[in-house]
Amino acid sequence: GGLVGGAGDIKLTKDGNTLLKEMQIQNPTAIMIARTAVAQDDTSGDGTTSTVLFIGELMKMSERCIEEGTHPRFLVDGFEVAKKATLEFLETFKTPVVIGDQPDREILKMVARTTLRTKLYEGLADQLTDIVVNAVLCIRQSDQPIDLFMVEIMHMRHKFDVDTRLIEGLVLDHGSRHPDMKRRAENCYILTANVSLEYEKSEINAGFFYSNAEQREKMVTAERRQVDERVQKIIELKNKVCAGTDKNFVVINQKGIDPPSLDLLARAGIIALRRAKRRNMERLVLACGGEAINSVEGMTEDCLGWAGLVYEHVLGEEKYTFVENVKNPHSCTILIKGPNDHTIAQIKDAVRDGLRSVKNTVEDEAVVLGAGAFEMAARKHLIDNVKKTVKGRAQLGVGAFADALLVIPKTLAENSGLDTQDVIVSLENEHDRGLVVGLNHNTGEPVDPEMEGIYDNYSVKRQIVNSGPIIASQLLLVDEVIRAGRNMRKPT
Amino acid sequence: RQQLVAPPRSPREATGEMREVVTVQVGGFANFVGSHFWNFQDELLGLADDPAADAAFRTAPLDMDVLYRTGETLQGVSTYCPRLVSVGSRGSLGSLSSSGAPSLSSAASDQLNVTTWSGNVTRSVEKPHGRNLFLQSLTEQEPNPSTSNGGNNSQKSVEDKDLVECLEKDVNFWTDYTKVQYHPQSLYEMYGSWTDFDKFDNFGTAREVVSEWSLMEEMNEKLRFFVEECDHIQGIQFIVDDSGGFSSIAATYLENIADDYTNTPVLLYCVRDPVTHGSSRNQRDTITRSLHDAVSLSKLSSFCSLMVPIGLPSLSQSSLSPFLSIQDAKPFHSSAISAAAIHSVTVPFRLQNAGPASNIAHSSGNIDMRELVHIISDQGRQNMVTALDVAMPAPSLKDGNDLWNMKSLRTLTPEISDEEEDPYSVESLVVHGVLRAGGHRASISQVKDSVYSAYEGRATKPKFSHLSVSPCPLPIPLPFPSIFRSHIGQHGEILSNHAEGTQPKGSLDVESIPMAARLRSSNAVLPFIERRSLSLQKFGVARGSLGTQILRDWGFGREEMEDMSEHLSKMVRAFHPEGGLTSDSD
Repeated sequence: GGLVGGAGDIKLTKDGNTLLKEMQIQNPTAIMIARTAVAQDDTSGDGTTSTVLFIGELMKMSERCIEEGTHPRFLVDGFEVAKKATLEFLETFKTPVVIGDQPDREILKMVARTTLRTKLYEGLADQLTDIVVNAVLCIRQSDQPIDLFMVEIMHMRHKFDVDTRLIEGLVLDHGSRHPDMKRRAENCYILTANVSLEYEKSEINAGFFYSNAEQREKMVTAERRQVDERVQKIIELKNKVCAGTDKNFVVINQKGIDPPSLDLLARAGIIALRRAKRRNMERLVLACGGEAINSVEGMTEDCLGWAGLVYEHVLGEEKYTFVENVKNPHSCTILIKGPNDHTIAQIKDAVRDGLRSVKNTVEDEAVVLGAGAFEMAARKHLIDNVKKTVKGRAQLGVGAFADALLVIPKTLAENSGLDTQDVIVSLENEHDRGLVVGLNHNTGEPVDPEMEGIYDNYSVKRQIVNSGPIIASQLLLVDEVIRAGRNMRKPT
Repeated sequence: RQQLVAPPRSPREATGEMREVVTVQVGGFANFVGSHFWNFQDELLGLADDPAADAAFRTAPLDMDVLYRTGETLQGVSTYCPRLVSVGSRGSLGSLSSSGAPSLSSAASDQLNVTTWSGNVTRSVEKPHGRNLFLQSLTEQEPNPSTSNGGNNSQKSVEDKDLVECLEKDVNFWTDYTKVQYHPQSLYEMYGSWTDFDKFDNFGTAREVVSEWSLMEEMNEKLRFFVEECDHIQGIQFIVDDSGGFSSIAATYLENIADDYTNTPVLLYCVRDPVTHGSSRNQRDTITRSLHDAVSLSKLSSFCSLMVPIGLPSLSQSSLSPFLSIQDAKPFHSSAISAAAIHSVTVPFRLQNAGPASNIAHSSGNIDMRELVHIISDQGRQNMVTALDVAMPAPSLKDGNDLWNMKSLRTLTPEISDEEEDPYSVESLVVHGVLRAGGHRASISQVKDSVYSAYEGRATKPKFSHLSVSPCPLPIPLPFPSIFRSHIGQHGEILSNHAEGTQPKGSLDVESIPMAARLRSSNAVLPFIERRSLSLQKFGVARGSLGTQILRDWGFGREEMEDMSEHLSKMVRAFHPEGGLTSDSD
């Protein structure tokens, strides 16, 4: 959908999370739902829209029961039973995935594709599937949790191009600041540094005032010399490792580098970038190897990383530095090119979700059949097996919960312009015959998600089933308090 | 908006290389102040190139590159924009889009096609804010307009009058009166779905916003864009509206800045709209306000080099009122005063050295931000909370060897004492564009002599004082509020024969204003700090108090409360001579 903010700014989004964050919500109930949904996105990476839909549907179903005289308390009790049963059912329903040293790339691709297709048209989603899977596998290190921050997502505005690619290495959004430095170099040592290479008055003489020009000159010279010595140490290391070879030397510094230092480095044939962002220091080391140094003292060859290719790309006043062909990348960059901010933002949102879906799969070691198949099956389970185990009116709560689950296949049908009643009936028939099917949103026919490779994240599903009834129950009980107060007020 | 192309640069002296200042504005009123500040700069740029302008502007010794950057658009058009990051709440940009361009019309937004999705699209469109008469006039201007005041033909001056009137009547956003072209990286709108910005009135309300990792990251990235391109950054000037939740956002931002740019000085202005000083409704309100002020001072002062609180509860009732007619209810009015004062403080950061060879002093007393911080906070007491005083307009010099009237400086800092006599005080005074009798611009040496004599004449001299002098007054751009009393002349001189009780004058009548501004670290600011230190002790640290509960709601544990309290006590102790005060005697 499109959304225009107060300023007339346009925000395009297919992302429920974005939508909720952009909206100025006033209604306290809506705020409560929105908070839950966005928290969901923060923990598992997706499912914002589904959570909102599910809570909404639970409330709608409850409202019907309450109108017919059911006390909210019974519904809440029923929700509790249904939630527990659904979570247990999910355990038996999920499809385990064996993740080992060589994860099943095909199943990861299926999950990624399913997620991407909810945000992007199929052709574009499919194009991004491999990128997303490869990015996660690139940064994955055995026995360590996956840190998605090690996948940098960068964008470039480009007049005609819509293109996304994975760079096994890093793209920095700045370039060298000296005209004589090379714009392209092969076989590069990479020095990742956090060392000030600029003259700062405060270093020596804080609390001191020059009494005359000569004294000032002396102090300045002394301080300048200190900075120069640091630069000289870097040049010495460069000469040691590069002399007599065709190798190059690149310094990527988190602190500043002033023009005299840049001059010295340029003259020594070194490429230097300043003010790199802090997170990129970590990424650089993971991508290129070596270590990030905080001081030039005792610097050795072991501190240096390596990249086969470093080059600069200029777009107007924006510069990019590509650090590529690295040896053993544990950090990588997804570079998105698009004609405008809206396209870029759309793709970015989708890529983020795609990455998280792959990460979730690796960590869950399980997936869940998608296209509404799970919800259909869970509902059938609740109606056939669970409802009758519950005594009294709480049964109504179980029933409301079961029916609310159908909002997922219903919405799929609605989004494809299909008749929701027809779709639900035909899916129910298949499930009654013992076939686990979901909805083919193109044809409106039942489809086997396993055959089509439509899988959702286990942890996302789990969270939706978990948090939906909690919020709905809170809202129902708050409502109860209000009702009680109203009833107690007697006419005088 | 005419300043798209870089003006020709004046040759730089060999001795003084240009040192950049990056500006950060956080929060509603801070952006109102910033909007005026940049209008002054834009006006100076225009006047420097205008052959019809006052010589003081054409030959102004100000290096604008300190505040501005040269760049180019993707289309290869060169640009000259403020080195600025502005942070505001969502929707606070009015009719401007966050890219710095006027926002798209509804018609244009209809044509925007979705290239990433082939399915159904729902469109929900909010009505964009209209552009007022003044903003419309900016886009309609002919390619090479004159920025000077007082149009040549009568038709134009009628139009200008309408523009001034429209701003007096209706300003809702700081963008309503800005004439500056901002860089696409400059403007940042915080989204906050359930943050009700009307209730964004205390430190705790920003908790969720601050914890949003991506938001701080985006703000950091915007700043990094401007800092990375600086060869010799002299410092960051940071304006925050610390009356509410933005105080907390600024505190986190400042903490990141201190981490990323360790040795870069940060000059922090805490600005407040007089309307935020409204009376409290109940005791809880009173305690919340006091705690907010205390926590803000503690947190903000921890991560900056110098802190300047600005914001009297009323400007209309202040000692500025004999010259200025300010409506407290209009942030468009009150922000103009803070902006003028901040402009004056930045003058020494960009004064160009005339060099020792020059025999006529072009300007005097250029210092960079680091030196200023050093003068103010290291020379006397270890105090970094600084009062800001301003003379607007600064009085003219009389003929003969007279003393410059120090009493003309009126403070903009709230809750301080009138105490003038402090042998440990340290001051930095900037005087620019001052006139002498007969309406001529006073020379640098005349101003210096007069000010030095005035210092000599004081009963208690400050421990250290620094003086900067420039001949260039404050230019009054068209979108400046009509706040001058009728006895203020075209060049900011005080007229002796004037009609009483007429309407306040605005930019069409007053072209420029001589200014003086002073940063002052003295025991006058002690009450400001003491009051906050006491509130934190009284309401916050005492166990089981209502204040403790409020602070807990804001996310502060006991240990952090005690740290903040200790930090404030330490600031108070800086004013007491060693061993002179013993609070605990056991």
